Amino acid sequence: MPGSGIIFNIQRYTIHDGPGIRTELFLKGCPLRCRWCGNPESHKVTPQPGIYPVKCIGRDKCGCCVDSCENKESLVFAEHKLSAIDRTQCINCMKCTESCPADAVKRWGRQMSVAEAMDTILRDVSYYNSSDGGVTLSGGEPLMQVSFVSDLLKECRKCGIHTCVETTLYADWNSVEEILPDTDLFITDLKHMDSAMHETYTGVSNTRILDNMQRLASLGKPLIVRIPVIPGVNDSKENMEASADFILHKLHNRVEELQLLEFLRLGEEKYKSLDLEYPMEGLTFDRDEFTLKVKNFCDYFQGRGIVCKVGTATKEGTR
Amino acid sequence: MNDRKPIGTETFDKHYGVGYKVGHEGFSPYERVNRLRKVFLDRKFNIDIQRARLITQTYKENPQLSAKLKTAYSLKNILEHVDIDLYEDELLAGELAAPAKAAPIYPEFSVEWIIDELRNHPFDQRDHDKFYITDEDKEELLELLEFWRGKTIADAVEANLTEDQKKGCEMGKKVYMTNLYHFGGVGHFVMNYEKLLRVGYQGLIAEAEEYLAALDPADSEYVEKKEFYEAMLIELRAACTYISRYAELAEQRSGQEENPVRKEELKQIAANCRQIAGGPAKTMWQAIQLWHFATTITLIESNGHSVSYGRMDQWLYPYYKSDMENHVIDKEFAQELLECAYVKMGNPSKLKDRMTVRVRNGRGWGGESLTIGGVDERGEDVTNDLTFMMLEASVHTRMINPWVCVRMHKNTPYELKVKVVECIRAGYGHPKIFNDEVAVKAMQRKGMSLSQARDYAVVGCVEPDLPGREYGYHDAAYMNIAKVMELALNGGRCIDCSTNCPRYRECAGDGKTLGPDTGYLPNLQNIDEVLAGFDKQMQFWTEQMCSGLNLIDEIQKERKPLPYASAFFEGCMESGKDLGEGGTRFNFTGPQASGIGTCADILSTIKQLVFDEKRYTGEELLSAVRDNWEGHDILYALVNSSKVHHYGNDDDYADDLFKKVFECYCQNITGRKNPRGGYFCPGVYTVNANVGLGMDLGASLDGRKSGEPISDNMGPVHTKAASHDISGPTAIANSVTKADHSLATNGTLLNWKFPPECVAGLEGRENLVGFIGTYLEKGGMHCQFNIMSNEMMKAAMETPENYRDMLVRVAGYSAYFVELGRPLQMDLIRRTELAFS
Repeated sequence: MPGSGIIFNIQRYTIHDGPGIRTELFLKGCPLRCRWCGNPESHKVTPQPGIYPVKCIGRDKCGCCVDSCENKESLVFAEHKLSAIDRTQCINCMKCTESCPADAVKRWGRQMSVAEAMDTILRDVSYYNSSDGGVTLSGGEPLMQVSFVSDLLKECRKCGIHTCVETTLYADWNSVEEILPDTDLFITDLKHMDSAMHETYTGVSNTRILDNMQRLASLGKPLIVRIPVIPGVNDSKENMEASADFILHKLHNRVEELQLLEFLRLGEEKYKSLDLEYPMEGLTFDRDEFTLKVKNFCDYFQGRGIVCKVGTATKEGTR
Repeated sequence: MNDRKPIGTETFDKHYGVGYKVGHEGFSPYERVNRLRKVFLDRKFNIDIQRARLITQTYKENPQLSAKLKTAYSLKNILEHVDIDLYEDELLAGELAAPAKAAPIYPEFSVEWIIDELRNHPFDQRDHDKFYITDEDKEELLELLEFWRGKTIADAVEANLTEDQKKGCEMGKKVYMTNLYHFGGVGHFVMNYEKLLRVGYQGLIAEAEEYLAALDPADSEYVEKKEFYEAMLIELRAACTYISRYAELAEQRSGQEENPVRKEELKQIAANCRQIAGGPAKTMWQAIQLWHFATTITLIESNGHSVSYGRMDQWLYPYYKSDMENHVIDKEFAQELLECAYVKMGNPSKLKDRMTVRVRNGRGWGGESLTIGGVDERGEDVTNDLTFMMLEASVHTRMINPWVCVRMHKNTPYELKVKVVECIRAGYGHPKIFNDEVAVKAMQRKGMSLSQARDYAVVGCVEPDLPGREYGYHDAAYMNIAKVMELALNGGRCIDCSTNCPRYRECAGDGKTLGPDTGYLPNLQNIDEVLAGFDKQMQFWTEQMCSGLNLIDEIQKERKPLPYASAFFEGCMESGKDLGEGGTRFNFTGPQASGIGTCADILSTIKQLVFDEKRYTGEELLSAVRDNWEGHDILYALVNSSKVHHYGNDDDYADDLFKKVFECYCQNITGRKNPRGGYFCPGVYTVNANVGLGMDLGASLDGRKSGEPISDNMGPVHTKAASHDISGPTAIANSVTKADHSLATNGTLLNWKFPPECVAGLEGRENLVGFIGTYLEKGGMHCQFNIMSNEMMKAAMETPENYRDMLVRVAGYSAYFVELGRPLQMDLIRRTELAFS
């Protein structure tokens, strides 16, 4: 559908991805498969059902999902409750998400036109204005739906709304260029400086990402760089040094700030809802030690002259 | 001082932390204040029977006197003979009862419940809201109360209510609750403190004497007016005597005191009392002392609660300014004085009956609002040093009282907004925020001029009021509009009507119904017909409620005049008429609608499932609630799911119905007349009555099971199955402001609950400043915040001893969480916590 995109969530009053009070749209589809990803429902572009067994009221009392399902084999029950969907059988007809009365099957992904998206965005304009906030497009990878994203950003721009795009930058430069004029702020990750390691943990090499990041920085676009610090993945001294070198020498320190995001077990229940294993299941580490480690990295970056903090707040201040 | 920017003792952006801290004490930089606070928290709640003893004596000895003179001689007897004391460390004198924090007894209002509880349900055996009384006092009290049986206000009310009024109120099916003024005094006003401080008691006495002397014996109301002035004079003189007693006591204590610093303080306390036992206040210290005495005496005269302090940063300012300019005090001492006063405001306790505390927890009087900020009569901002200092005093003491209310408007200084947000995110439930643009409009709707309207202060939880010129009967009743909806959908019958109901014979036998038959859902064709039936049902019950309240009003006037309090109101002094007789300038009665969210979701469910989607019939819906949802699992899940339109999500489908219910209630109340020559004013809030009203209500179509709370104040529905708002705080704010709040001239109330991490950091502060600003800009009249996680509340339920000073915003007021009843604690936990991601 022209002028439409697939969105899996619209979150109003978000305060962590960009300044002020924002409405954040999460676009479905991502070329990366980061092990620590907190939004597994974003991976595939097409809509999928996600299940929440605790909310199921039981097939014996209800059965709406079975009655509506186009391939009834795909629904798996345990003690009357929907416990899984056999994804090899499921054809994503989404009927169960429509028929379930209990919010036990959630629809991940909805086709939405620019006008529909704007309808929600515009409802909170006065909050953006009073807090220097705006709209953030995130994902998944928004650039996988670049023409929709571009149209949406243009609309926001027309309405005077501050725009932010959170992207992996794993995309053709053309795509980045397309949204460049209508994006006020980019947020992107340095997940690993070693390309092979990057590929091991995210599924893709970092070459294109780093290349795009350099081009973006050289254009002087406001850019926030994040390092999701993951125990045993990228939390080595060497990787942090390489990241600092990259920011200083390749990006010429043209970043608004560097944010270190300490690993949190996010999205576990969403993996379960999609009948997926949680990739970080086996990870054990000492939280206090790790927190201190991240704090020390932050000091290290600051010592090298990079504006750096732990967390996502964009304004300095008391905690 | 006028050319300086207002500032407190600390920087405007001083950070006080985020959220409640376990075991944290010593919030104040003044050690004395921290000690007083601790002493307050450690002190037990006792019952003081002296007031009961002395008033009974006066009434017994003077049966021939009119009610006004009985009131006057009783107050005189109490003020002359009640035990007085001065407590260690205190800079202010005067207590409601002895010892401090004890609750006096007001037998003239109602006694049956006291007798019953003394005999059968001892106050010290309650689960919460306990009080202690010695065996000796208990025996004496029981004897005293015997005298009052059949003579109280409650007795008179009960003897005069019609069957239709009875069946609707707390004595019947609780369609509405008029219990506050049925069993107790009215209060809910702001005395003219500015005048008292300026002219002193002697000034008021001289004025009353003049009016008395000028009375024309030929005036047809001569006798009543003469008695009124005489009664007022007896009471004003007794007030002077009472204050002089404190002066003597302080002199005596000062003489005995060995510590030279304390000796000097006691000397000053004595000098202050000497000055104001008749004279005007000359210093800030004296002004605070006089305000404290004047208020305390009002609470001894009658037990109406929510006697509020008005715009204290305004009326106190001249004394502060003059002291500062004359170097009488420094700012730190002014601050310490304010904080001592704040701690002292916690002392008055009120014994309430066990049915009331079931729904209205807390042993404080409730509702002593202190208003700061706002505009002057020309609309200019009035923020001054005291505005900041009164917020600092609040965050330094973190107690229930006073209920600080900040008036905000489009020119409120940024510094004040930041200070307010720093207090809010410290997480102790104060201050509440009021919106001048909307409240001023509401005051104008009440018939006030623009300049009068701009002088409003907040009384009680959220009621806009004109200090010294309004008797607003603000908390007159709570109507359970979810019950009205139930009757409107079910042909005037309760949904759980059965022979088990003790009232079955009176209201359901012989084909009778509780309310009029204004329609039956299965027979209705569209949502407009549902709304029309609801409006008719509402008409019937507002008629019963308002006429019942007017009866109570008449009985209060006859039996409990308030000549002392009347001295502080414009109009009463001039006309010779008591407050109860409509003597002051503006007279209103304010009953509230409770359960607006519940009604909105009921209507939305019906509109969507029956009329628009035609998935269910009206009969199916009704049978589901008749069965308390048992065996209707699919429907129960569905109405609690995101697939049904719900109020609070910025979804016009449901929000339009909210707006219609809001307007229906306001229209049915507005303009009805009361006996004081004034009008009824609608409020839309529940305080915490949503829990109690829900306990007595069968299942409802919003997905509520029988006995669960109805919706909280202006907030969205949260049933045991699900919170119905799922779109975050901006969506709630947008939904709530789709109705015109100024129509609710007796106030609206909105609670927010945010977890601490969401308001942390400079960014959290700025976002909250922006968020509040936008909510007000959109037309929200009031809002207040809990900055507290569910985990912390659950922890406090497990180990209350570690959380005894943890305040939560229950409704219009803050309360100690661990002192609340379990149903209310659970309700607070269940209220949607707005997580920001």
